[in-house]
Amino acid sequence: MSKKTEDLIEQLAAAAEPVYCLGSPFRRTLIWFAWSMPWIAAGILIWGLRADIKALSSDVRWLIEEGAALATAIMAAMAAFCAGVPGRPHWEHYIPLMPLAIWMGILVQGCVQDWLALGSISFVLRPDWQCILDIAVLGLGPAIAITFMILRGSPIEPTTTTSLGALAAGSLAAAALRLIHREDNSLMILVWQVGAVFGLVFLGGIFGRRILRWRVAGAS
Amino acid sequence: MKAAQAGDRSAYAEALRLSIPIIARVIAAQRNYGLEMDDLVQDVLLALHSVRHTYDCNRPFIPWLVTITRHRVIDAYRRRNKVSKNETAMPELPETFSTADSNWILEGIGDPDLLRNAIKDLPIQQRRAVELLKMRELSLKEASAVSGMTVAALKIAVHRGLKTLRARLTGHRAEPDNRLN
Repeated sequence: MSKKTEDLIEQLAAAAEPVYCLGSPFRRTLIWFAWSMPWIAAGILIWGLRADIKALSSDVRWLIEEGAALATAIMAAMAAFCAGVPGRPHWEHYIPLMPLAIWMGILVQGCVQDWLALGSISFVLRPDWQCILDIAVLGLGPAIAITFMILRGSPIEPTTTTSLGALAAGSLAAAALRLIHREDNSLMILVWQVGAVFGLVFLGGIFGRRILRWRVAGAS
Repeated sequence: MKAAQAGDRSAYAEALRLSIPIIARVIAAQRNYGLEMDDLVQDVLLALHSVRHTYDCNRPFIPWLVTITRHRVIDAYRRRNKVSKNETAMPELPETFSTADSNWILEGIGDPDLLRNAIKDLPIQQRRAVELLKMRELSLKEASAVSGMTVAALKIAVHRGLKTLRARLTGHRAEPDNRLN
């Protein structure tokens, strides 16, 4: 060990104040969810629940879709928090893929069902930019909350971490939007709502390295 | 490390010292990409210090340390590549820069001191002609009015003066100019 390294150890040890350790990813996910809920609730209160919500609560397909979107949000948040802790297994990054596959699967199945029932008319796509805007607004609170929380972790995999964080915020917003918007065409949901979520994931990935940086002198 | 997280400085220093052989092994295993080992070790120590709160006491320490080390080595390699992309390797530095001031020839015919001394050594009439016509850049008429010499005498004097200067500065002997003598 060189003299400089020994000096550095002395300096670091002298500067070592007690630190507040990160909680477990599960606990941090619960905190994030609790922080995000008032924002989502405010959105639902302002825009109002859709009129047919009672009828939908007994629709198994709708419940599975909604549950899968919510599970994707929770699993993605947990995976984002795991990705910020060095030494955790890599497979944890992929846990949101399962609920995401169920969510996508149910929407694709809905598209097929619509096509079988209505024919090619079910594939008519209307522009619905409002949907993207609503997802962005509903997802803003959860996105800010998760950004602050992942900033406490290690920036070892910045792109993965921010992409997963964006997936969590976007999926939560999409799940909330299904309680507000009266849009049940699977193709429309797949293109505009899920498309907006993937747009957020893409943006999260792009800005990952800028958001999460090592706070070390001379680090990039 | 648990004690270090609680603020125990000696335990922290010990944990860092014990980490160095592991860090060095990981760097060596990654072939360190031609980077300085000591610099990398120090960089990892700084990184480790900045994220020591992310260590979970219920999990093993070494995977945590190894992951940080691996990522810091890759980041250091990226940083070096970013810098070297904008650099051109040269076998030796160029002798001069492109500006005119830096291109003075310090020895030989372009040396200003040598030229000044050679002018001083010229016979008085030749020196006067060179000073007026070449250094002050006067016309023959103006130089004639200033010096009191005729235009023809000035022409001859400046010609001889330049010839003498050229010979002195290049080290050749001036050939006698029969036409003008």
